[in-house]
Amino acid sequence: MFLQVLLNGIFLGAIYANIAVGFSLAWGVMDVINVAHGTMIVIGSFITFFLFKFCGLDPFLSIPFSMFILFLIGYSTQKYLLNFVVKVGIFLSLTLTFGLDLFLINVVLLIFTGDYRSVTPSYSGTNFQMGRMIIPYVRLVTLGICFLLTMLLQLFLTKTRTGRAIRATSQNRQAAEIVGVNVAKVYSITLAISAALAGACGSLISMVQSFTPFEGGFFIMKAFIICVLGGLGNVMGAIIGGLILGIVETMGARIFGTGFQEAISAIIMILVLIFMPKGIVGSKYK
Amino acid sequence: MAILEGKSVSKLFGALPAVDQVDFYLQQGEILGLIGPNGAGKTTLVNLVTGTYPMTHGEILFESKRINGLKPAVIARMGIARTFQIVKPFLGMTVRENVVIGSLFGKGGTERKTKMAFEEADRWIEFVHLQDYRNASVDQINISFRKRMDLAKALAMGPSVLMLDEVMAGLNTKDIEEMMALVTRINQELKITLLVIEHVMKAVMGLCHRVMVLHHGKKISDGSPQEIVNDDRVIEAYLGERYAKSRRAS
Amino acid sequence: MEGKKQKRLIIGIIISFGFMVLPLLIEGYWIRVMSSIFMYAIITGALNIIAGFAGYAAFGNIVFFGIGAYTTAMLMLRVGFPWWTGVIVGAILAAIFAILVGLPILRLRGHYFAIATLGINRATEQIALDWGSFTGGGKGITLPLPKMEIQSFYAMIYFIMFGLLILTVLTNLLIARSRLGYALRAIRDNEDAAEASGIFAPTCKVIAWAISAFLTGLTGGVFAYWFSFIEPATVFDIMIAVKAFVMMMLGGAGSVLGPILGAFLLELISETVWGQFLTIHMLILGIIVIVVVIFIPRGLLELFRRKISLAALIKNIKNQSV
Repeated sequence: MFLQVLLNGIFLGAIYANIAVGFSLAWGVMDVINVAHGTMIVIGSFITFFLFKFCGLDPFLSIPFSMFILFLIGYSTQKYLLNFVVKVGIFLSLTLTFGLDLFLINVVLLIFTGDYRSVTPSYSGTNFQMGRMIIPYVRLVTLGICFLLTMLLQLFLTKTRTGRAIRATSQNRQAAEIVGVNVAKVYSITLAISAALAGACGSLISMVQSFTPFEGGFFIMKAFIICVLGGLGNVMGAIIGGLILGIVETMGARIFGTGFQEAISAIIMILVLIFMPKGIVGSKYK
Repeated sequence: MAILEGKSVSKLFGALPAVDQVDFYLQQGEILGLIGPNGAGKTTLVNLVTGTYPMTHGEILFESKRINGLKPAVIARMGIARTFQIVKPFLGMTVRENVVIGSLFGKGGTERKTKMAFEEADRWIEFVHLQDYRNASVDQINISFRKRMDLAKALAMGPSVLMLDEVMAGLNTKDIEEMMALVTRINQELKITLLVIEHVMKAVMGLCHRVMVLHHGKKISDGSPQEIVNDDRVIEAYLGERYAKSRRAS
Repeated sequence: MEGKKQKRLIIGIIISFGFMVLPLLIEGYWIRVMSSIFMYAIITGALNIIAGFAGYAAFGNIVFFGIGAYTTAMLMLRVGFPWWTGVIVGAILAAIFAILVGLPILRLRGHYFAIATLGINRATEQIALDWGSFTGGGKGITLPLPKMEIQSFYAMIYFIMFGLLILTVLTNLLIARSRLGYALRAIRDNEDAAEASGIFAPTCKVIAWAISAFLTGLTGGVFAYWFSFIEPATVFDIMIAVKAFVMMMLGGAGSVLGPILGAFLLELISETVWGQFLTIHMLILGIIVIVVVIFIPRGLLELFRRKISLAALIKNIKNQSV
């Protein structure tokens, strides 16, 4: 019934929004499309899987770990790789992250093999019941954490010194440099945060669906679509775009069945690109 | 005869009028100076003529034909060329290749075969005295040469109207004098009508038959160089109300 | 003809002759490897027209490969057309698709265009997957087998691919010297200035993409005939597109021979690495991509032409870094 479908859509949308927020941050601030973002999410899933399976750590508690590890990965990637090519052109950073994606996928593949994995803690299938609606426990906590992370990000960007430096650099790199911002460091931190968000996302997703090292491509497509829908570099836009996509997909699947779903999402993205280049919500962060 | 005419030309960016109901005209064979403080709308006006920006209101006529609303490439092929304030060369190519873009695609370009277009390009490279750098890669030559190259490319388009956007900016005294000589040659030998956006007063006074002044998007004065230099409104625009008042008082 | 051009022409003819005689000297496995190398070189050369010359990063260009493959497969299987008819029709369809899609899409710049092409590839792949009744869906399509002895067949494929490669090189050469070539490069370097100079950018871009699509479509069709089996995941594989991109960059985007060289080099390396290190083949490819992007972004040809030393290279990188 309608409210249930809507709720499911919101749960899905929250995850999508989270995927997009991290991705959009790198894009908006540095004009970097991190194609490896999807695989970073997957790495987060595998970290949670590993900690759950071999250390018995509750998946939700593994989030700080996956965030930390991915923070390091993101920071090193920007510092030692991307910072050398970001100023030059789009081909370069795009192709570089493709290469990085290839590399990361295969590292994970070597360590964990290509089998489908999932994380199923004891409370996996449990639900709350509210009226006629079924609210899975896991989904609800996921929604809460997504919300929390986004709020923290927003606070970080607006209230802290580093956050303001990031926003300044995003608006005008040269001006930021002149007033003493260490742009290289700001960029590194930006990608690090973006990766950390991906990590958290991956941890949450690991409980919701099964995954292989190759899941990244699927996430990236969603991220693209949402960023196009919601406007670039725009945290609010990513959130709204993610929620909209989640709701539309869930409702669409309910009404039309799951065939052609992916194709339709991709086509919607292209149509938005053509007709509403600034996205449904707004324009670039700047 | 007015070869180029603008009637009530306006361009609004959102609610901000960059160009505000400007009437202007260019007599065939003259050099019109276009001056005004930074942000006055001079480059925007040029962009409106070339079709790079769509106009919000008004009309622009070239040789008595309406050109507003036409695509930039169409307008270029009709015989209107311009240089850019911040030079926009084709960095991946040589000087010769940059200029040949003008002779290949400008007025009369479609009738030329590639070989002839190159010969045409060479002619213009010589005209601006750049023949020693013909095959140099653009990213290796300095700003003064790039400006001359930009000029050669514009000339290679076979224009009847040429609009120069701060072509003297960043040049030293000697270069300015050379450029002024070139502009004079273009006007007198080649019979090209010119619109010159300039801040370098020496060039404005020395070259222009007539000068138009823009301020905050509006035309505030129009006349001979001598007239506008003594025009209170122009002085006020550049130097401020207080200076203009004190000058009147003295 | 000037001396330098004459020399190049002779070298070109000698090399081509060498390739044509090669099948007699090497064994079956290497004939197939060379065919594969030729195929990548064609895809890269075709990509060069839209990405190298015009500067539009068509990351999803592989969609035309898929369209060519599927058209050929379906025409051969359902209608009974001979393979070469299928291939040509497939290529024409790919070109038409490029024109239809290109008109709106080529108005997008930079990242947006790249993403849009990825979206188009993805959408087309998904349609091929979901429209099972028409395209065979995930199970793919099995083509009628060729009616000839297998070794002769592989040799024939070798020559077809080589022929397509020559076609691609000649196309690139012709474009480079023509008005279109100059227009595309001007568009790449500064689209606004190009338009102000009298270039009709939309028309030029669409033509370039249609040519690129045609060549890529031809290759897809021949691929289908070659392997006698196609499925969406293979013929719309983004990895092929990425490899082509890296090959183009490695050799030198926007030059005539650079992309071809890059393809040869990277594919040969791929083959040897694949032979030795099966499991980490892709991993090493990923590293190669990163290294190429950072150290050889303008391509090897450019490196040799300008005789850039390692020191100069490192200085270059430092200058452009954040």
